[in-house]
Amino acid sequence: MLYGRAPLPEIHEITPEEPRADGQPGDRELVEKAQKGDGAAFAMLVERHQRQLYRLALRMTGSEADAQEVLQEAFLNAYQKLPLFRGEAQFSSWLYRIAANSALMRLRRKRRAPDALADQPLELAGPKFSAEGYLEPTSSSDWSQRADERMMSGQLGAAINKAVDELPEDYRTVFLLKDVDGLSNEDIATALDLTIPAVKSRLHRARLALREKLGEFFDEPAK
Amino acid sequence: MTAEIHHCKECVDLLGEYIEGTLPPDRAKALEDHLSLCPPCITFVRTYKATRKLCHHALVRDMPRELMHSLSSFLAERVPGFKRSEDETVAAPAADSEPKKV
Repeated sequence: MLYGRAPLPEIHEITPEEPRADGQPGDRELVEKAQKGDGAAFAMLVERHQRQLYRLALRMTGSEADAQEVLQEAFLNAYQKLPLFRGEAQFSSWLYRIAANSALMRLRRKRRAPDALADQPLELAGPKFSAEGYLEPTSSSDWSQRADERMMSGQLGAAINKAVDELPEDYRTVFLLKDVDGLSNEDIATALDLTIPAVKSRLHRARLALREKLGEFFDEPAK
Repeated sequence: MTAEIHHCKECVDLLGEYIEGTLPPDRAKALEDHLSLCPPCITFVRTYKATRKLCHHALVRDMPRELMHSLSSFLAERVPGFKRSEDETVAAPAADSEPKKV
């Protein structure tokens, strides 16, 4: 993994909390109760956030077993650090950062990883343009109408898995967290210690590369 | 004064922000003007969106129930007063919906 381990966000002052549409207590209310020793309130926070944290851990580690351990470690760590949480950042963002750090530490124990993304050579496919900046015909075949028909195809699923696996790790993680798991750019940036423009850039380039791969798949005759 | 988009490359470069609705209005208007005159870019937008949809459909994963139970047990042993949820299927926002803001 190629992300730098990041410090937890600085916390200064409390801003008002938006009421939840489902009428349940907001995160901040639950955090305040949990800080006073209310284990049931902490359990509600866990139940509320465990799915997204699981997806983050799974995407970063690539392993179900590691994701499980990251989740345990992250929630326990969050509970122990709860007295330090003052509410400047959203609780979910704070939690993502804790989980991301836990995932990184686990990865580093397994293999040595570079500390920065910047030096990584990048070879991602993308559309082809003429010298004047117009799309080449090979980049504009419309397979989108056939996509729905073949949505359930096992071959398509395999092609997608292969294409995503071939993305550079840092691009793959951002893509999965955003377009598959539905995290916001802000939460991804917080968790992975990236700037929002960096998240957007990696996301776009990953989509372009995947679009090329899917174009190749749809251009092949169905087997 | 809105700067026009003359070339497909510029259109493609702006696409990510355009489909997420985060492109400034003048740039979005310029991009739409380009699309109205450029069938290859319309096709490109369709396949770009389809890429997201297909990948989401193929790769979305929800947290296994066994893992929820094991996490709950783990924390119940370590956090005083932690109550195991009776129904851990009460869903938080699910990941099996389409990507938002498309």
